[in-house]
Amino acid sequence: MDRRDFLKHTAGTVGSLAAVNVLSPMLLAAPAARPDLAVVHGASPEKIVRAAVDALGGIRRFIAKGDVVVIKPNIGWDRRPEQAANTNPEVVGTLVKLCFEAGAGKVKVFDRPCNDPRRCYVQSGIEAAAKAAGAEVSHIDDRKFREVKIPKGVAIQSWPIYIDILEADKLINAPIAKHHGLGKLTLSLKNWMGVMGENRGRIHQRLDETLVDLATIIKPCLTVLDAVRILTAHGPQGGNLADVKRLDTIVAGTDQVAIDAYGATLFGLTGADLGYVKEGARRGLGVMDLGKLNIKKFEA
Amino acid sequence: MLLWTRRVTQGLFLLLFLFLFLQTESKGADQLGYPAKLFLDFDPLLALATLLSGRTLVAGFAFSLILVAITALLGRVFCGWACPLGTLHNLVGAMKRWKGLQRVRGWFRAKYLLLIFLLSGSVVGIQLTGIFDPLSLLVRHLALGPYPALNYAVNGLMDTVYRTDQRTLTQVADGLFGLLKKTVLAFQQPHFTQGALLTALLVAILLLNLSERRFWCRYLCPLGAMLGLIGRWALLKREVAEGCNACGACDRECQGGLKTATWSATECLYCMACDDACPKKTVSFGFSRKPSSESLDLGRRKVLLAGGAGLASVAVSRATPAFDPNRANPGLIRPPGARPEPEFLARCVKCGECMKVCTTNALQPTLLEAGAEGIWSPILVPAKGYCEFKCTLCGQVCPTGAIRVLTPAEKAEWRIGTAMFDRGRCLPHAHATPCIVCEEVCPTPTKAIWFEEVVVKDRSGQDVKVKQPHVDLKLCIGCGICETKCPISDRPAVYVTSIGETRSKKNQLLLENPSGYGA
Repeated sequence: MDRRDFLKHTAGTVGSLAAVNVLSPMLLAAPAARPDLAVVHGASPEKIVRAAVDALGGIRRFIAKGDVVVIKPNIGWDRRPEQAANTNPEVVGTLVKLCFEAGAGKVKVFDRPCNDPRRCYVQSGIEAAAKAAGAEVSHIDDRKFREVKIPKGVAIQSWPIYIDILEADKLINAPIAKHHGLGKLTLSLKNWMGVMGENRGRIHQRLDETLVDLATIIKPCLTVLDAVRILTAHGPQGGNLADVKRLDTIVAGTDQVAIDAYGATLFGLTGADLGYVKEGARRGLGVMDLGKLNIKKFEA
Repeated sequence: MLLWTRRVTQGLFLLLFLFLFLQTESKGADQLGYPAKLFLDFDPLLALATLLSGRTLVAGFAFSLILVAITALLGRVFCGWACPLGTLHNLVGAMKRWKGLQRVRGWFRAKYLLLIFLLSGSVVGIQLTGIFDPLSLLVRHLALGPYPALNYAVNGLMDTVYRTDQRTLTQVADGLFGLLKKTVLAFQQPHFTQGALLTALLVAILLLNLSERRFWCRYLCPLGAMLGLIGRWALLKREVAEGCNACGACDRECQGGLKTATWSATECLYCMACDDACPKKTVSFGFSRKPSSESLDLGRRKVLLAGGAGLASVAVSRATPAFDPNRANPGLIRPPGARPEPEFLARCVKCGECMKVCTTNALQPTLLEAGAEGIWSPILVPAKGYCEFKCTLCGQVCPTGAIRVLTPAEKAEWRIGTAMFDRGRCLPHAHATPCIVCEEVCPTPTKAIWFEEVVVKDRSGQDVKVKQPHVDLKLCIGCGICETKCPISDRPAVYVTSIGETRSKKNQLLLENPSGYGA
């Protein structure tokens, strides 16, 4: 090695070291600057979903190439999108597109509805929107529930859960924000009721504990709460357009307790008003104190 | 050549019939999207019976005039070439090797007497025709018996394979299962009361073919009798040219059980097997205006007897508690859009289309709940399924308007009954336990089920705050989803009875009738 080479080499090393020294604080700081919740307002559901996911670090933070992804919207009722009883179809469609943009291998969309499944899938517009975006939309197959143990369960210690949920690489929770007669509101935690088998109506006897029990075994990598339209009364199925309020908002994040706590504020409530949010926070599943969260609120 | 032309035609009609049968199922849209009742629309017997008993012209039956015209011109070609039940009879009859001269009992007149019995009943408002009409019969028995059984068999087989947990095997089976689900299987396993009975009756009717080919068509079919009468002076006739040596080949093949010497347009099924069978090619069908030599003598006494029995049947059927005008049957919950009971019974032909199409499998066939004449008419059994709030498919497939087509606005307010609570079983009412399922699923925009928040004591004397559900009688439409979904699933703590039903003037509860009779 001659002198020139030595100098070059040394300079290169120093240069690269310097570069690392300059960059590393930025690398470290990036996660800290990343918000816990992204709350985006805007007229286009597609735009605000994309903006919210981007604000959280982009879809590639959540979905890897080749992943089998389940997106679980609320398709519980035979209602049209403007009645705000099911997740907005454009929100679901956008999430499907995002997953494929991140290289997902397969995206599945399903729910176990309360009304006739065919009518729910069609009338909600979700089947068409998700299929158009390339998702595999299927109806629940009763054979495909597996009894799953819930080691940290308080109200339920095991329950049949849909196998596609158990076998997926990634789960995305895509609930809608609406009124509910017992839980007051149904937001992200309650959305997982849609993957429970058997006589699930029984869980209302201890709804708050059960929803948190369920959250100890079902862990979405991303939750996108649809508040494009919210249902303020006669939930969870509504039917009267006078009960629907247009908020054009998306609340996204990874902490379902935090999302539900924020979701409560859309209805003039707080997380502390919702039993399952309190229970979730108490059991360390997430943060309900909005003051402790980094919330990025913006227009898109 | 003629034989195969006929067989292919029969096959195509049977396939069309089965295709429409399979499409008699919700796809999730408001409209069914297929003319599921098309074969029934073409049926002049159902049209005439409905005209007589319901005293009404149903638009869909305009198609039946086409069949009347065809028959008047060409005779019973429908029987030989198109009737799906007739084709099934052919198939079963072909399972036996027939040798020598066929045995013909000659009970041809029975079907005319049955026709007279049925139509004279219709005149006094009793609708028994659909029980014997071949098209109505086939839809009903297939829908309620063999088709659910087929689903059960395939689902059971696939279940067994699935449980083996052999990956390759289950993948192949699931692929096949998916294909079957898209084509021939029902969206969900159908369950019907009397399924075994209805299957057995259909099998029995088909097995008659092993005694005599097309036994049903020769002796029993009232539609065949009617078409025979219409086609009595048909222009298309069988002709025997000179050179016939009476070898009997045509007699052996005759589907109608006729003899060469006594051919008659009313009994001939126009299958034209004789044309094919004749070794000398002397038998053929052609147009001629020559009057037919036949005479149809049923016997005046027998005709009077059949007619009298038809007239009397209404009295026999209705002198039972089911027709006590002062007491409604709580379990007689009719589909949304059903006419008032006497008019409903006068129209319903028990074809089973509504039960086949019902999205929740809630519509079940009656046995004696609606009286003997109401057998196999539809009732809603909320313990089995509920009336889907926005669904109007049963009215869309009803061939006679016994269930009329409701607009979405009419459907939203149409009551089929009223729900009430059994407080002794309800969790918040009797057991200090929260539950809100009935309220959650209640579909009226302002929920008919409302809560009273009360503090009750549990066994240890502790206060428990529960929401006790109540029914708002003015809002409840009796859809029964609360009963179907009640977590106390064996005997729900909320149940629907027929009281308050929109279609009835008498079966009312509130002083002010909120849905308004006859709306």
